[in-house]
Amino acid sequence: MMASSYNAKEEDGPHSGSSTHGGTGVAKNKKPDNTAFKQQRLPAWQPILTAGTVLPAFFVIGLIFIPIGIGLYVTSNNIKEFEIDYTGLELGSPCHDCSKNFTWNSTTPCVCALNFTLEQPFESNVYMYYGLSNFYQNHRRYVKSRDDRQLNGDPTSLMSPSKECEPYRTSAETKEPIAPCGAIANSLFNDTLELYYIEPNGTTTAIPLAKKGIAWWTDKHVKFRNPVNDKENLTELFKGTAKPVNWRKPVYELDPSDPENNGFINEDFIVWMRTAALPTFRKLYRIIHKKPSTTSTLPSGRYTLKVTYSILYNSVKAHAVKGQDKAFI
Amino acid sequence: LQDKVQETIEALRLAGIKVWVLTGDKHETAVSVSLSCGHFHRTMNILELLQQHSDNECAEQLRRLARRLKEDHVIQHGLVVDGASLSLALREHEKLFMEVCKNCSAVLCCRMAPLQKAKVVRLLKTSPEKPITLAIGDGANDVSMIQEAHVGIGIMGKEGRQAVRNSDYAIARFKFLAKLLLVHGHFYYIRVATLVQYFFYKNVCFITPQFLYQFFCLFSQQTLYDSVYLTLYNICFTSLPILVYSLFEQLVHPDILQSKPGLYRDISKNSMLSFRTFLYWTLLGFSHAFVFFFGSYILMGEDTTLMGNGQMFGNWTFGTLVFTVMVITVTLKLALETQFWTWMNHFVTWGSIAFYFIFSLFYGGIIWPFLHTQDMYFVFVQLLSSGSAWFAIIIIIITCLFPDVVKKVFYRHLCPTSTQKSQSLSAPQAQALSCVESLCCYQHGQSGCSRLACLLEQMMGQCKASVNNCHISSRSNSL
Repeated sequence: MMASSYNAKEEDGPHSGSSTHGGTGVAKNKKPDNTAFKQQRLPAWQPILTAGTVLPAFFVIGLIFIPIGIGLYVTSNNIKEFEIDYTGLELGSPCHDCSKNFTWNSTTPCVCALNFTLEQPFESNVYMYYGLSNFYQNHRRYVKSRDDRQLNGDPTSLMSPSKECEPYRTSAETKEPIAPCGAIANSLFNDTLELYYIEPNGTTTAIPLAKKGIAWWTDKHVKFRNPVNDKENLTELFKGTAKPVNWRKPVYELDPSDPENNGFINEDFIVWMRTAALPTFRKLYRIIHKKPSTTSTLPSGRYTLKVTYSILYNSVKAHAVKGQDKAFI
Repeated sequence: LQDKVQETIEALRLAGIKVWVLTGDKHETAVSVSLSCGHFHRTMNILELLQQHSDNECAEQLRRLARRLKEDHVIQHGLVVDGASLSLALREHEKLFMEVCKNCSAVLCCRMAPLQKAKVVRLLKTSPEKPITLAIGDGANDVSMIQEAHVGIGIMGKEGRQAVRNSDYAIARFKFLAKLLLVHGHFYYIRVATLVQYFFYKNVCFITPQFLYQFFCLFSQQTLYDSVYLTLYNICFTSLPILVYSLFEQLVHPDILQSKPGLYRDISKNSMLSFRTFLYWTLLGFSHAFVFFFGSYILMGEDTTLMGNGQMFGNWTFGTLVFTVMVITVTLKLALETQFWTWMNHFVTWGSIAFYFIFSLFYGGIIWPFLHTQDMYFVFVQLLSSGSAWFAIIIIIITCLFPDVVKKVFYRHLCPTSTQKSQSLSAPQAQALSCVESLCCYQHGQSGCSRLACLLEQMMGQCKASVNNCHISSRSNSL
């Protein structure tokens, strides 16, 4: 055995001691601190999942959720929904002529009417939706194709929209920037749906459809703004821009009767710009407010839905596989 | 001989670790040292492979030893080999030699040159079971062995610092090896194994909904979540809980681990990173991801409005719903795995979830001037303002974690591991600080409600005095 200087310091604990020379001299104490944190002695709660804890917990949670479930079930059974398909692909349907003969160059709109009967009256607020199927609003190139700065009213973006909007960025003939640019805006849904109630004695009354309150409040008041907050001269504000290719009217004529709903802040436009998650989707179209008296909002009986056909979805339907337009109440 | 060497070697043997002694001493010294340090028992039958001069002699002796081992199964065998015979055996008869060694519970190699020590270690490393080898030594002649083994440990000793300088870990006394392996090794193995499995799990949960979404968007690579969420998921929202877990997790108290070396067998043979465990975690990730995506799809995908005023959600809201459910479930899954809750665990677990909510509110609350698209403006607030969305979040999270909880309880009761059994025996001095809810503390006549009260008190860190009056049932005694 080699004789070496046996340092008494080496006896106790994980001492590193001094490195090269034997153990003489001042040994730096590199021992870690004896605190609870560094020695992993922190106080802790150590739960163990045993049947004794888990089963009572499940039982309690189950008891809490059963009445919630019953409540939800009863509530959802009271919700009524009615679906009308106005695609018009089959020969017998009223909208067949419109779907077959209409081309997108036509200047006169094509109107078709469908009759339906409500078995039960609809109470309280009635929401009217339009639904599309096989329309991929969630395609990546489509979702990217918008300019939020332009829609927020930024004047520089109005005149030079973002490159993401290509090929719907500038008009081909006049080389003017398109407002609003992009594929989402270009494919705006502009079927018009009107609802008429056929009274028992035969007269038809139009049902008032409210077009306010269908878009998110923050969308309408913060995210989408017209270029300058001057509601009068929208035509002037949009001078120098072109309308999107597939639109019939320019953006400042979306709702000339109501300056609060014209231009970029048109609620139908805003609802359309919120791209849907799945290829079969619905969007809120109109609200039928409940009547102040106790009469039901939509009494049971016969109704007529009048559809003013749009141009775009003909081409969509021709290429999509059995896409369908539907109206939902 | 240093102190407590016998206890250490005994502990290693109980832990299922095979101990070989490789020394340069001559035969008699080595055998006597082995006997005194507990490597060889007095009751062991000592076989010898010494002073073989030729190949055939060596082979003959090996076969004799193998026959002897096959005949006698009752008592334990020890083997003594010397350097020269070892080199003969390794040259021609490796397999036979390994056969003999495997059936011996202790092997002593004497008269070993330093390079031979390394050769033996390499031989073991390449044997069919591919065991993990650890070499420990204190002198310069142990350096090659220390470097060859998977883990090399040097003891700071009288013979200088050569071994320490070339080792992976250095300890001051041989007895510290027990704590190093049985406590620290055990803890860190569990921490690292869970870390690896959890990382795969949470990323599977993250990406699979995106993949599933492609089936619904014409495979156009439209992302389900906003790009900021994509970036921050692994950095901000899910990184801290697993970090704190892998620093602090302890399944059982260190004192119990040291007093019961047999618990080390629970993690031997890389059991926590085996193919079966990996498959469990990955399949769990896939199943959770399916539940996230299709749960949200069924709820709001096509035709339901979730807001009271009839307005509709868009695709970013859908993606945010899936993402919210995912972040919370993934964090709660780790919370289920954690069995040692220090204040830091609480802070990072609930803090991560809170941070996610606060960040989302902040991110969606302003029109950021430098962003090109304002896709996420107010999306999160709209999502949270819908009662149905909250309900969906709760239901989906419970659906995901419920089978996991059931599985854990089931396995703990039907086939508990030794570590789980020893969790019901808490170390006496730790009771003041950490309460362990134990199977054994069920006193006859206690109703279910009072046990719930016991549980609540323990959650708040106070132990009832009755914990001291545990009567240990026979079940947990059978270790």
